[in-house]
Amino acid sequence: MKRILIWDVPTRLFHWLLAISFAVAWLTSAKDQWLSVHTFFGYLMLGLIGFRLTWGVAGGHYARFTSFLYSPMTGLAYLRQILSGGGARYVGHNPAGSQAAYLLLALGLVVGVTGLFTQGGEEQHGAVAGMVSFTLGRMFKEAHEITAILMLLMVFGHLAGVAIESWLHKENLPLSMVTGMKDAPEDAPASKPYRLTGALMLVVVSAFGGWWFFYALHQPIEARLGYQVGGKDVPHVAFVGAKLPDNAQWREECGSCHMVFHPSLLPARSWQKMMAEQDKHFGTDLALDAAASKVLLAFMVNNAAEKSATEAALKINGSIKPDAFPLRITETQYWADKHRDIAESDWRLARVKSKTNCAACHLDAEAGTFEDAAMHIPR
Amino acid sequence: MLRIFYTSGLTLMIVAGLAAQPAFAETPNQILSSIQSEAKTVPGFQGFSAERGAIFFKTQHGKEFSCTSCHTENTAAQGKHASTGKAILPLAPSANAERFSDPAKVEKWFKRNCNDVVGRVCAAQEKGDVLTYLLTVKK
Repeated sequence: MKRILIWDVPTRLFHWLLAISFAVAWLTSAKDQWLSVHTFFGYLMLGLIGFRLTWGVAGGHYARFTSFLYSPMTGLAYLRQILSGGGARYVGHNPAGSQAAYLLLALGLVVGVTGLFTQGGEEQHGAVAGMVSFTLGRMFKEAHEITAILMLLMVFGHLAGVAIESWLHKENLPLSMVTGMKDAPEDAPASKPYRLTGALMLVVVSAFGGWWFFYALHQPIEARLGYQVGGKDVPHVAFVGAKLPDNAQWREECGSCHMVFHPSLLPARSWQKMMAEQDKHFGTDLALDAAASKVLLAFMVNNAAEKSATEAALKINGSIKPDAFPLRITETQYWADKHRDIAESDWRLARVKSKTNCAACHLDAEAGTFEDAAMHIPR
Repeated sequence: MLRIFYTSGLTLMIVAGLAAQPAFAETPNQILSSIQSEAKTVPGFQGFSAERGAIFFKTQHGKEFSCTSCHTENTAAQGKHASTGKAILPLAPSANAERFSDPAKVEKWFKRNCNDVVGRVCAAQEKGDVLTYLLTVKK
């Protein structure tokens, strides 16, 4: 027996970066406002898998697919041997472990790609923005969630395998994935370290992260008209959405008393009712002249929720009963569902106060885009 | 030669600057005098009073809000919409040059806000008093 390098530097880096990516992406999937982080690790995972597929052909001896080309049947047979307390020791991937590696790579690929299409459909963002409809995006989301769960189960399977194998052969497999070193028979070839490729990987991943978080988290919102949300901790807007139709007169007329609620937040029939009843607009007679009323109504009707310009528009409109004419966005079911978990104390914050003050938490509210990643409760 | 270029360029800039001004722009005093000509049609008109305007501006008129509910006691500072919390830029012309420069806007806001505060259309006397008062507010 001799102690030699089995796992080259890029393979180890890939392994741990993939593990981190999956873990963080899993944990940040729970809340909409972590979407920019979640998406970053999704892209990273896709990039890592792309690298690993290449490295499986061009990498060190034990990283190459040719060194662990076992059939699923061989894998199962090995698994049975292990579970009955036997099973030979492999220096590289064992037949069962290699199945886990293949499945994790395949699942990771599917999770990543379906995530990409979910993002393109639901948020109209990312590499495939505009190519997928909202409805199709929703189907991709289902697939994304199911494959992510399968991947998590596979990760647990892999961890169990590592634990059993480590105990059975009295060696610390996780540590080997850190140092790369293992005890091997005299005739086993050692892997080259490929330190330069590893360093290059780190540079690329850091550069990608720097660019991402610089770009995503440091786009200041400009049009926060009139609201005194500022302060030293003014958050930044991540994922500035596609620019929605705008109208200077609408912004001026509606925005002089309250936040401008983009027409995409209510259906056309609501705006028509609102303008027909403008003499009792939440207690005030707007007294807009005929010309102004006409311009405003046309802009609102032409850009109403039915146009599905944003995720919020689509979902708000879908949640309103056909015979309902809500005049407040807060009356819609979608709004109620999305704000159900907001604590009463958060509503009472000095910067929030009113439920009409969307811009207190939705930094892009004035633009009407209501991006997931542009949410921030100003505690 | 250079000098000709320089002066003609300067003239051009001034002309362009003037042309860029909106056609409806008026000064608060012009708006006040048009309110005055309306007020004069009422018998017994004896001019405007900043003092009366201040009292009108700061007191309630049988309704929930007074002018100061939104514009605050200090009209040279930023106000805040009483029900939505939206920031309102200063109302006093000394602090905000845009105020009382567009007759259509002046008419719209007097109509809307008088309705909210007084529950009716304001008389020319009342509008003139308030504007006279606002013109006395220093930055």
